[in-house]
Amino acid sequence: MTSFTRPIHQQLLLSIGHTLAIWLYVVAALFPVYWLVKIAVTPEALLYTEGVRLWPSAITWDNFAKVLLASDFPAFFKNSVIVSFGTAATVTIVASAAGYAFSRFAFKGRAVIVFVMLLTQMFPLVLLIAPIYRLMAPLGLTDSLWGLVIVYTAFNVPFATFLMQSFLESIPKELEEAAMIDGCTRLQALVRVILPLTLPGMGATLGFVFTAAWSELLFSLMLISNEAKMTFPVGLLSFVSKFAVDWGQMMAAAVMALIPACLFFAFIQRYLVQGLTAGAVKG
Amino acid sequence: MRRMIFGTAALVALATAATAGQAAAQTTLQLVEVITSPQRTEHLETMIDAFEAANPEVTVEVTSLPWGQAFEKLATMVQAGQVPDVVEMPDRWLSLYANNNRLVNLERYIADWPEAQNLTQAALDFGSVIPGEIHEIPYGFYLRAMFWNKKLFEEAGIDGPPETMAEFMETSKTISELPGKSGYCLRGGPGATNGYIMWALNFLGENRYFDEEGNSTLDSPDAVEGFKFITELYQNGYAPRDSVNWGFNEIVAGFYSGTCAMLDQDPDALIAIAERMPEEDFAVAPMPIGPKGKSFPTIGYAGWAMFEEAQDKDAAWKLIQHLSSPEMNLEWSKFVGVIPIYQGAEQDPFFQKPQFEGWFTELEGEAWEPTSMPTYLEEFGYFADVLSIQSGQEALLGQRTPEDVAGEWAAYLTDAYQKWQAAQ
Amino acid sequence: MASGAVAATRGQGAVRRSGRLSVILEPWIYLSPALVLLALVMFVPLIVGFTYAFQDIRLLSPFSRGWVSTEHFETLLFSDRVFRTALVNTAWWTFGSVALQFFLGLGLALLLNRAFLGKRFVQAVVFLPWAVPTFLSGLTFAWLLNPVIGPIPHWLFALGILEEPYNILGNPSIAMWGPIIANVWFGIPFFAITLLAAMQAIPNEMYESAAIDGASAWQRFAHVTLPYIAPMIAITVLLRTIWISNFADLIIVMTNGGPANATQILPSYIFTTAYRKLDFGYASAVAMVLLLLLFVYAILLHQLRKTFRSTA
Repeated sequence: MTSFTRPIHQQLLLSIGHTLAIWLYVVAALFPVYWLVKIAVTPEALLYTEGVRLWPSAITWDNFAKVLLASDFPAFFKNSVIVSFGTAATVTIVASAAGYAFSRFAFKGRAVIVFVMLLTQMFPLVLLIAPIYRLMAPLGLTDSLWGLVIVYTAFNVPFATFLMQSFLESIPKELEEAAMIDGCTRLQALVRVILPLTLPGMGATLGFVFTAAWSELLFSLMLISNEAKMTFPVGLLSFVSKFAVDWGQMMAAAVMALIPACLFFAFIQRYLVQGLTAGAVKG
Repeated sequence: MRRMIFGTAALVALATAATAGQAAAQTTLQLVEVITSPQRTEHLETMIDAFEAANPEVTVEVTSLPWGQAFEKLATMVQAGQVPDVVEMPDRWLSLYANNNRLVNLERYIADWPEAQNLTQAALDFGSVIPGEIHEIPYGFYLRAMFWNKKLFEEAGIDGPPETMAEFMETSKTISELPGKSGYCLRGGPGATNGYIMWALNFLGENRYFDEEGNSTLDSPDAVEGFKFITELYQNGYAPRDSVNWGFNEIVAGFYSGTCAMLDQDPDALIAIAERMPEEDFAVAPMPIGPKGKSFPTIGYAGWAMFEEAQDKDAAWKLIQHLSSPEMNLEWSKFVGVIPIYQGAEQDPFFQKPQFEGWFTELEGEAWEPTSMPTYLEEFGYFADVLSIQSGQEALLGQRTPEDVAGEWAAYLTDAYQKWQAAQ
Repeated sequence: MASGAVAATRGQGAVRRSGRLSVILEPWIYLSPALVLLALVMFVPLIVGFTYAFQDIRLLSPFSRGWVSTEHFETLLFSDRVFRTALVNTAWWTFGSVALQFFLGLGLALLLNRAFLGKRFVQAVVFLPWAVPTFLSGLTFAWLLNPVIGPIPHWLFALGILEEPYNILGNPSIAMWGPIIANVWFGIPFFAITLLAAMQAIPNEMYESAAIDGASAWQRFAHVTLPYIAPMIAITVLLRTIWISNFADLIIVMTNGGPANATQILPSYIFTTAYRKLDFGYASAVAMVLLLLLFVYAILLHQLRKTFRSTA
């Protein structure tokens, strides 16, 4: 941001332009979500006939009622919460340790490990389904929420490590060195001194991973067949039958599932930006 | 040492005999359904509750796979060893599983089943993709007939449904002249195969897929005429522009929203359409007849099969038997919209309604020969689900000629047929 | 820090720090949970999956032929028309999506890089798309693009972009834009967040001294902002490109690779081959080619950064 002055009319023009641009982004970001909500409150009879209208002539809360009371959705929701929080927590712990290793140590093989982690991002996950299923079935990890947590954790660790490394970079090494001189082991220093300082960063990583786990569809679909263990994305698919798609209910369920994810992400995105900024300053 | 082993073996044998005598204590059966909707699952579970009540030592666990991903989901489960006992098996997948020896040959069970003699011949024939073996008990038939929108026809000044292919083209043209309307709800997306095959065979004049040498008939000049018929219909604008990508939901929606006036579909579409259109506005006619005087509406089916890995095959058969009993089958077929498998079912007042006329005319009339797709070919599933759709779209869009596409299909099918013949 | 604990651990700490082996091992100990997890869940299945590329494996058939060495690769390189189409489409899909997301995300970051009324609310809202599951946004955009039930074709028609309101997903020459738009909507927050963070790290003095030197807004951007955020740009573009080229969800939900393979990309082709045709051998071969391409791309980018850094 600059501190020199411009002529007042230029400032006003820029200000208006800025606001307009911001609002364009806001509308663009919200419009599809708004459309989702609109479909959820449209009665079925009007779905196709009033499809193009911005708001239906009559709204109904039936779809929400049905989803909450007459479907398996509450169970799917619960499973999603378990899996997403479980993944987020596990990833944060594992990634904190790994990020710490990258941040504090210059060790041989470091570049290789970084590259290996990058490599995992290139894997075509589609192809891993069958082998992973084969590996997990005898261990009883299919049809299991913990099986999903393990798989999701592995997928998210590389990027989360990158995030945590960035957040940890902003904490001076001197802090734990001081703690170690006072007699703590490095691990104790990490847990007692460093991590509390990266709480916002950890929160941000948690939120990012939570969002990713919350939305995952393919592995949840393939690894889980037992309805009692399904997560909500798979549950949404059950509204698509061979003969009809129950759009109203499907979107109502989607809206309800979106709320926690969006709220959570809206809350932590600030810390994400803050944490990455701090890391960037150092690195 | 020996006496101990002998003693232990004897004990084990006694124990097994004792439990066997108890009708195997508690058996749990896994049933997987693949054509799913919340209503169907509910109905299925009612039927299963009745079974469990009559057979208290058996519990049935139902797994419902989302239809859009059911094929790959089932395949993934099976390859990893999580195999259900009983499965709902659509016709197109039967050959794949049966030819890979995954399914139990149900012949010996059928021999002891009193109701079997009341099954229609079609029911017995269609469950058999390997000659002499029956791997599936169908629960009903999907047969194509032509839905037509009476109001649109009136508006366009047309008296009744087209009876021949030529009339069909004319009718489509006339109706397409109405602003914002089209004649035919073309299905160019998933499920398009049946349409292409029907038009090709209608022009070919016989429902033979392969000639004496084992070559596919789809690239013969007459069959190609049939493809040209439909690609011209699309390119002339007698079907909505987006229909090149339309699947089941879109064509049915197109019909009941009045966007297109004719739709070829199975009785299960009737359920969706009757819910959204008043009865007087539409009717169902038999499929139009080809230039050689014959019409070959496609007939498909789904039913119940048993996997080889089933531990208690007798219990699994009992379940299949229950689901396929006359009362259960009649109820189920009315609910899901298929033609039931027992002789005399058409006497039921439900099927006597005027909307079913189209289908029963096809079953009884001379000019129509319901034709099944060559689902006994293992590779047919891929042809139907991927290949025919993609290249069919290329032909509709004019990117390739109908001859070219027909040639590709004929080559693929001939190959598959020769493989099948070699394995016989 | 409790002095009691300190006293108790003093002895331990001393012993620990003196072992050379433990010094070398230390980082690895912290890395181990991550590495073990990645090895078990990703590498082992990947290696298993890749051995399929040299075999004829049909998912359900116990009668597959066994090792066929490079036959799959020969087929896909020389006689598979769909593979070539998918390859071209993947490039179009990836670079189109990344370019649009990047520039729009950069624009958003620039807009957010100053204080204004309601900024906190706005920031929370514009980042929302990233929290929406992609298959949901795919479905929603498919709705929006359908002229019967969505407004976009009608708007495009009113703007003169389309000659009649039809579904662009059914037109092979422009169908790819549908998933690209959905992907861009989803991906803008990713770039906006990371680039904003990088921008906020730039000390104000840099801008002020540039302004004093008489630099225009554009020059300040090019000579102060860009160099500072360049490392972040490099990482995020690399990551996002890799993620997107492996990302078939949107395409499968919106067009299923059609019409006529116009939107078929390599990952969706892999999926279809593996799970519809049940030909795991061939699918693995295609997957290996994709992995190789991404690998080469990553190395190229790495080299580019090195040369860029050495000249900067």
